[in-house]
Amino acid sequence: MTLTMTLGLLAALVQAPGEGTDTTIAVRAGTRLEVHNLSGDIIVRTWDRNSVRVQAEHSSRDRVDIGYGGVVLKISASSRRGAPRGVDYIVTVPVAMDLNLSGTYGDISVDGSTGRINIESVQGDVAVRGGRSLVTLHSVGGDVQVSGVRGRLEASSTNGEVTVDDVEGEVYAETTNGDVMLRDIRSDNVSATTVNGDIVYRGTIGDNGQYRLSTHNGDVTMTVPVGTNATVTVSTFSGDFESDFPVTLTGPSRQGKRFSFTIGSGRATLELESFQGSIRLVRP
Amino acid sequence: MTDQWTHRLSEYLDGELSATERLQIEEHLGGCPACRETLDELRVVVARAASLEDGAPERDLWPAVAERIGAARPEVEQPAGGRWRRLRLTLTVPQLAAAALALMAVSAGSVWLARPRRPIMQEAAAPPAAGLGVTVSPVAAVEGAYQSAVRDLERVLAEGRGRLDTATVRVLEQNLRIIDAAITECRRALAADPASPYLNAHLAQTMKRKLELLRQASRLVAART
Repeated sequence: MTLTMTLGLLAALVQAPGEGTDTTIAVRAGTRLEVHNLSGDIIVRTWDRNSVRVQAEHSSRDRVDIGYGGVVLKISASSRRGAPRGVDYIVTVPVAMDLNLSGTYGDISVDGSTGRINIESVQGDVAVRGGRSLVTLHSVGGDVQVSGVRGRLEASSTNGEVTVDDVEGEVYAETTNGDVMLRDIRSDNVSATTVNGDIVYRGTIGDNGQYRLSTHNGDVTMTVPVGTNATVTVSTFSGDFESDFPVTLTGPSRQGKRFSFTIGSGRATLELESFQGSIRLVRP
Repeated sequence: MTDQWTHRLSEYLDGELSATERLQIEEHLGGCPACRETLDELRVVVARAASLEDGAPERDLWPAVAERIGAARPEVEQPAGGRWRRLRLTLTVPQLAAAALALMAVSAGSVWLARPRRPIMQEAAAPPAAGLGVTVSPVAAVEGAYQSAVRDLERVLAEGRGRLDTATVRVLEQNLRIIDAAITECRRALAADPASPYLNAHLAQTMKRKLELLRQASRLVAART
């Protein structure tokens, strides 16, 4: 079923009770998508049409509500009695559409977007390929996996791993209980932190870049390409430091194991911290 | 809540506004309790930070701190010789970490709790635990505000945990335990070396992470209300 909505009016599409929903809505450029799902997965795909297709699997008791006023397309579910049991969405959107997705019990994934993306999940995994300008991803209990961002990325979890691949732009990655893996990063501004987990960085180290990798209980591994110019500060309380290549300390600071050294002209800033794990510099 | 004057409060505090702007902001303050409270918070943080031991900064972290309170805007960013520059010259990394922690502790009370902030502000404004013949770390100077914010947020979580599912509660509690263990280890290390810049900054950042997680938990509770 394809419906064209009159722009400027807030309209609500209420799918008649059934075993599912399959609706396509024409949208104008610049429309933002908002999906909130209490229970069930949200899968977002892209196409090159100015319309949004909403496919949803749900029980006959539940219904999918779609509201569009010309600026934001809102999708949620409701039930005749109590909370909806669970809805699995597949939403196909214009490739550049901005996305704001949230869910409580269920995974959320986006594939191929060139829009801004904001995702918040409580108990599900988050997986994104694409995104521009600003991509913000968070899960409380699940993993966060993202690749292909061109712009600022903020990826965080509480109790999961954060895995970032092929990003060009600022990267802020954080978790409490899990590893942070950053690979194929092209950025002058990187921050990765965890409390209980390892951190791995593999990517460029720009001459004007700032890179901070910090864990409490875990190892830090930083890949340092040949030709890097960086001032490196290593801080640990009871951990170790290893390097694939020789380094000369320029001024061992006081207190335990905190020291600095310079690679090349020392222009970039690398802060590597592990309270009780190993800190390693490796060649690609 | 912010308005057009919120981001100028620090300049007002430092006497960097023009006479006209000063009059305008004072007129605004008269009718805006939120800005008055924010101004009070700024005074507390600046006073507390200024009371810490001076030292050469290792790098400029103040913009990030300022950003946390919404003070950093491109149009007012780091005028040469201006306020930020002066602060940069007087705050070390651990001091800034502590200041950031203090800011978060204060905002934890103001933003995430629908309750008065007076207890937090009173503790934050209390004099540091000096004069005991021991070195007081920068983090210790903001311990009161931190503990107060933690207590309030833990209370919100305790009162609202029934609205969260057991899996989410389990995740939150497990991670709070992980952070608490890290804080304990950090405090132990710091007790033996209270002047360590790394340990001070690391402790402040770990404490801040606990506040962030508690704030997140409070948000989840609020969302299920």
